[in-house]
Amino acid sequence: MNPAPSYWAESAPWRAFADRASDRDVTAALAHSESGPKELAALLSPAAGRRLEDLARKALALTRRHFGRTLSLYVPLYLSNHCSGGCAYCGFAADRQQPRMRLDSARMEAEMEALRAMGFDDILLLTGENAPEADFAYLRDSVALAARRCHRVAIETFAMTREQYADIFAAGCAGVTLYQETYDPDTYRHMHRWGAKTDFAGRLDAPARALAAEARSFGLGALLGLADPVGEMLSLFLHLTALRKMFWKAEYSVSFPRLRRQAGEFRAPHPVDDRRLAQLIFAMRICLPTVPLVLSTRESAAFRDGIAGIGITRMSVASRTTVGGYRRCEPDTDGQFSVCDTRDPVAFCDALRRQGLQPVFKNWDAALR
Amino acid sequence: MKTDNWTLGNRSFSSRLLVGTGKFSDNATMLRAVEASGAELATVALRRFNRERPDEDLAGPLSRLPGLVLMPNTSGARDADDAVRLAMLARELCGSPFIKLEIHPNPHHLMPDPIETYEAARVLVKEGFHVMPYMGADPALAKRLEDVGCVSVMPLGAAIGSGQGLRTRELLKLIVRDSGVPVIVDAGIRAPSEAAAALEMGCAAVLVNSAIAAADDPVVMAESFAKAVVAGRAAWQAGLMPVSDSASPTSPLTAFLPA
Repeated sequence: MNPAPSYWAESAPWRAFADRASDRDVTAALAHSESGPKELAALLSPAAGRRLEDLARKALALTRRHFGRTLSLYVPLYLSNHCSGGCAYCGFAADRQQPRMRLDSARMEAEMEALRAMGFDDILLLTGENAPEADFAYLRDSVALAARRCHRVAIETFAMTREQYADIFAAGCAGVTLYQETYDPDTYRHMHRWGAKTDFAGRLDAPARALAAEARSFGLGALLGLADPVGEMLSLFLHLTALRKMFWKAEYSVSFPRLRRQAGEFRAPHPVDDRRLAQLIFAMRICLPTVPLVLSTRESAAFRDGIAGIGITRMSVASRTTVGGYRRCEPDTDGQFSVCDTRDPVAFCDALRRQGLQPVFKNWDAALR
Repeated sequence: MKTDNWTLGNRSFSSRLLVGTGKFSDNATMLRAVEASGAELATVALRRFNRERPDEDLAGPLSRLPGLVLMPNTSGARDADDAVRLAMLARELCGSPFIKLEIHPNPHHLMPDPIETYEAARVLVKEGFHVMPYMGADPALAKRLEDVGCVSVMPLGAAIGSGQGLRTRELLKLIVRDSGVPVIVDAGIRAPSEAAAALEMGCAAVLVNSAIAAADDPVVMAESFAKAVVAGRAAWQAGLMPVSDSASPTSPLTAFLPA
């Protein structure tokens, strides 16, 4: 196995503190103005789990201060479900029996048209792991096409080299999302059964490669359910803060993807319930007050409405996780995961406005490319 | 009646409260707050211009408010090149010669980058903009920006959105003392009393956004800031008594002595 990057710090000492943190440690963490891993560990502890309302109040105050009463929106567009990867938990993995397809440029134009008609201007393009049918050149061309249609285009695809990242940014890509999936090396090895993604350290270093190629924004995340969530959040925090020291001009965001049912009947070994997920989000907001926190339509309408603006500042909406899902002109395929909040943008925005939050479809400009 | 107008470039203004337009819960509240503030200059991020969705476009409805001049800002720019591009596009879209130059490349603290700001200011002044640079409270930089032709300087009181007030008070005094262009405190102000304090120390104006947008009642808070700014300016004109470290008796102690 390749060695971890030199900037990588183990979260184990902080993980041990989370187990024994007392109510006083939680109070101290809530009062702290510059939170580090010790404060995060306290806020992720069982003791903090009993003070969820206190955490929520602090999270709300910080979110309001740094993001105001707004919530930014984006929409995912699945370009392809071809995949060379063997992720045990994913509906797109190469050994799943399902029709495979990719959008050609005409069908992609049609999808973009449908999304623009819904008002979207901030689009996340997704593929599976690098495959001959949907490779780097295909992705780069897709980015260029999308960038002609909307102000902000980001990608969530396979890990790349620094040179590839530079090319994709030159094509008009403004941001990259790439989850480590799990920061626990043993779980990682177990979950990623073959292919390029088996390289734990290589994936850990992918954000640094993108940022060295001058990524403007980078989204990190751990797939909740694969390993102990406290360890995952601590490692993610250390990863982000190390990257921020090296690449200080980039904007970082953190997503909270929680495993849900998908093809292959994978069962999450460390399921995260709603109260736990809320605690993770509040703790991260308190310790990363300026970082956008992202929640997808994997979550229920009730949970999303409740947590919007408390810690979460960015959400996907009206998502289809199938290829060609917006025009519905393709044969049905299984999505990468099931969507739980199925509201259209109008219904979703109405719900936001009812709680005094302004939905923001455009918070970026193509002139920044 | 004696007027107390001040000028930026070739424009004269009476209100000394400038407002930001982000972070509000909806456009209607934002517009009511801007009106209540009496501001004649409001700043809008170019990235929040959205002609295709009038329901969320900030620039369109503001440009229809009578007596309000738009001052687009370059928020989102990481360097001088970004800022110049955004400024050009903003002028194209809304026609205002004013540009609030903001280059704060580190999203973690949003502190302005002095080197990129200076470079962009030089270019934009030559392009005919009325450049209003957001800057750290650095007296030397303030003079350098004035020298290249900025119509004002906008030093920070504290970090954007922090609500920490006039943490840079001593440096602001140096900037005010030496500046030949209006000094506008931008960022950090939480309470109307702090806005009054900035005017009392001789600043020409203040720019407020978060303190109004994040208030429980943004409209009433905007009115309060308007009153505070008027009071602070009047106090500056009236002349504040000097601060002393001992009591000063109202009847002289030496009155018994021959003159």
